[in-house]
Amino acid sequence: MHTPVPFPQDDESTKGFLKRLWKVVTKDLKDDLGTSTFDLWLSDFKLVALDQNEVVMRAPGSMYAIWVEENFKETILSHFQKHIADCKSIRFDVATAEQQAKKERKRAAKAKSEKEKSEQVTHLKPKVLVEVASDDKIRRRGLEAGLVETFSFDNFVPGENSELGWAAAKAVAAEPGKTYQPLFFHSPSGLGKTHLLHGIGWESLRLRPRSKVIFVTAEQFANDYIDAIQKNSLMSFRKKYREADLLLIDDVQFLGRKEGLQQEFFHTFNRLADLRKQIVLASDCPATEIVQLEERLVSRFQWGLTAEIHRPGLETRAAILRRKRDDWNMEVSDEMIDSIVERVSGNVRALEGALIRVAMVATMNEEELRPEEVPKVIADICNCEDGKNIGMGEIKKAVAEHYNVDVEILDGKKRTARVAEARQVAMFLIRTLTDFSLVEIAANFGKDHGTVIYAVRKVKKRCEDSPATKNAVELIKRKLARGGTQVESKKTFTRNARPRISSNPEGIDLEGE
Amino acid sequence: MKFQIDKDVFQEALNQVQHVVSNRTTLPILSNVLIEADELGLQLSTTDLDVTITKRIPANISTPGSTTLPARRLASIVRELPTSEIDFEVNEDNAATVRSGPSFFKILGLPSSEFPTIGEFSNAKEFTIDQKLLGDALRKTSYAISTDETRYVLNGVNCLIGDGMLTLVATDGRRLAMVEQDLEFPAGNESGVIIPTKAVHELQRLLGDSGELKVSLTDSQAGFELNDSHLITKLIEGNYPNFRQVIPGDANHRVTVEREILLQAVKRVSLLVNEKTNSIRFTFDDNRLSISANSPEVGEAEESIDVRYDGPKLVVAFNPEFVMAPLRNLSQDEVFIDLIDESSPGVVKIDEPFLYVIMPMRVTN
Repeated sequence: MHTPVPFPQDDESTKGFLKRLWKVVTKDLKDDLGTSTFDLWLSDFKLVALDQNEVVMRAPGSMYAIWVEENFKETILSHFQKHIADCKSIRFDVATAEQQAKKERKRAAKAKSEKEKSEQVTHLKPKVLVEVASDDKIRRRGLEAGLVETFSFDNFVPGENSELGWAAAKAVAAEPGKTYQPLFFHSPSGLGKTHLLHGIGWESLRLRPRSKVIFVTAEQFANDYIDAIQKNSLMSFRKKYREADLLLIDDVQFLGRKEGLQQEFFHTFNRLADLRKQIVLASDCPATEIVQLEERLVSRFQWGLTAEIHRPGLETRAAILRRKRDDWNMEVSDEMIDSIVERVSGNVRALEGALIRVAMVATMNEEELRPEEVPKVIADICNCEDGKNIGMGEIKKAVAEHYNVDVEILDGKKRTARVAEARQVAMFLIRTLTDFSLVEIAANFGKDHGTVIYAVRKVKKRCEDSPATKNAVELIKRKLARGGTQVESKKTFTRNARPRISSNPEGIDLEGE
Repeated sequence: MKFQIDKDVFQEALNQVQHVVSNRTTLPILSNVLIEADELGLQLSTTDLDVTITKRIPANISTPGSTTLPARRLASIVRELPTSEIDFEVNEDNAATVRSGPSFFKILGLPSSEFPTIGEFSNAKEFTIDQKLLGDALRKTSYAISTDETRYVLNGVNCLIGDGMLTLVATDGRRLAMVEQDLEFPAGNESGVIIPTKAVHELQRLLGDSGELKVSLTDSQAGFELNDSHLITKLIEGNYPNFRQVIPGDANHRVTVEREILLQAVKRVSLLVNEKTNSIRFTFDDNRLSISANSPEVGEAEESIDVRYDGPKLVVAFNPEFVMAPLRNLSQDEVFIDLIDESSPGVVKIDEPFLYVIMPMRVTN
């Protein structure tokens, strides 16, 4: 269906171009509306101008103009949009008397010759015909498409962790719709999925400035959809997404559990796939692990290429931070960076945070910051981020210390306010800082897992409501971070330390929900 | 000014004129009704500068004079008054006192000199026409008037006089209603005017089942005089499009159907209309018409009725509101639906000079 109309060379007349364009659109319209309907209403219409993103059609009479505008405007416009990406609206004017038509022709001719003299874009010569994509234009179009300027291919630091993703991104940007359909990135948060998505968008726009690129998060897609339902404007919603040349969707895991949305997305996906348009998706987990995602979508997501982005290795981390340092013009030595990347692993956001912290401390202190001081500066970042190394006993001890109670009491049944709060905070911290499961945590305290869920929820809520609790939690976290050297490993812990006090397993648990 | 008036007479007259008063006006005087008392009786006038209505009613005048009072407020006071006789007195500060039995009201008004005067008619073409005939014709067409203000020429009923015929047309670009009535006019009265929506509605309120009315037309104004009322309206300036372009030619198939039954069936089925497409399907086949609606989120509805139709099976989708509008406003027992094919416009007809063009919706899937 989609056959781009070749744009005329300089020596070709605009008139010819309009004629050819109308011919192509006519064919599409006949397929869409049926020949009899087309002949009845549209056969005497002429395409007279393409002007400022607007298609101007000449109707054989004012009633035809009104009737066709009311009944077929959207349809006609959508067929033009397939060929002229810029085209935003359509206008119908009327040839009333032949005299007027003549006058019009004269005026157009005159305007044309004048414009040719001044070598400007005439109103009869659509912008798209002479478009030379300037950087500025690409930038504008990119921002309109929802792309973020800082995420380009140029400042992406590829490494062994993202080899496959990087290669696929470049291939897709170079030839959208021809290589991997769809391209599906997944990785834990902060490893560069979004960066690659935006990068593909920018690169694709650079190569094909007129293509229609859309970047949205799945949540934005959902909001658009809901909005369209409310305003009863699903047509324009569908038009927006189903006519994209390159659709980039971030955080598709958000689609999970939303059946209506999945259905809409399914159709959008199929439509674009049918038209061989490129779809690129990013998720924080593999398609199969997205909760309650319809089977047909899972299979479609796996259809093309799935590229997992791993945590960057030491060298890549260092490369990323050096790159950032140079981009941001920071006075941080290579040694300091090495010291950071040794301690902070994984998440690029945490790396950046650590770099900023170090740079900040370095500029604020009068004495020069020595590389060996770096670990102290970033202590909380590395420990909390890499919390696997902290054990339950460690956390319990810190909590007990903070609340000034015995560690054993946390495992007991005493439920005075202070002990209960300490116990809940301990559960919360273990849950958030370690990988222990609910059941493991519950067993350790001699409670059931419902109690743990309740405790976690309660502390979270209290952190939001009361600054005091929040401070307490933060304080303990920091304490844990500093004491990170005497870490009890998870393995040894789970092997040796089963619940210590469970004297009354049948006891009524009032803390549970 | 001082007069005595019957409550019911006063109330009815106020009701007829108060609709013209605009709700939100920057000119306070336009919310008021002009009350003029002379030896013949009372005259009430309201205007929004486009449409003006004047009504004469009998009253017992003690002192002639004039004033203006808030129309809506006065109407609601009069409606609630306890006895059938009202004593009205207005002082020189335009404060009106209203006495009725034990009730007493004082209403502050504005001087009548502030009330806009209505332009004089000059060189008007004048003729008389049957009230019922005009009322019927307006009822059969006015629902199709466009409410899209960007198409102001369609915001009214196009009224054509000539060739021994009165033609009334209204369209909004998706449907079109037309009445062509044989009517002898005095020569030289040929004209074409567009009467704006508001005037059409006010006129419909005034028209009765019997008697005649006098119509005066100039290039920019129209006047309608009937019974004791006089309605003057500005006309919509501009050229009404050549509506005959969208009236389809000969139909291939004719369906005959009972109007009431069709209306009720469409009304029921449209309860489950798909909000996205806003269309319901009409399947014509062998003397049966099956009407169905299907909304993926809600459910579906189907009803089938007996019709007279012997053509091939035909499935057409229409906007239900557009089908119901003419059915509600016609009075004939039987209507005809003329069809060409699935995608060509359908035409509703009756055995009188009326037609209604309706565009089919596109049937997807």
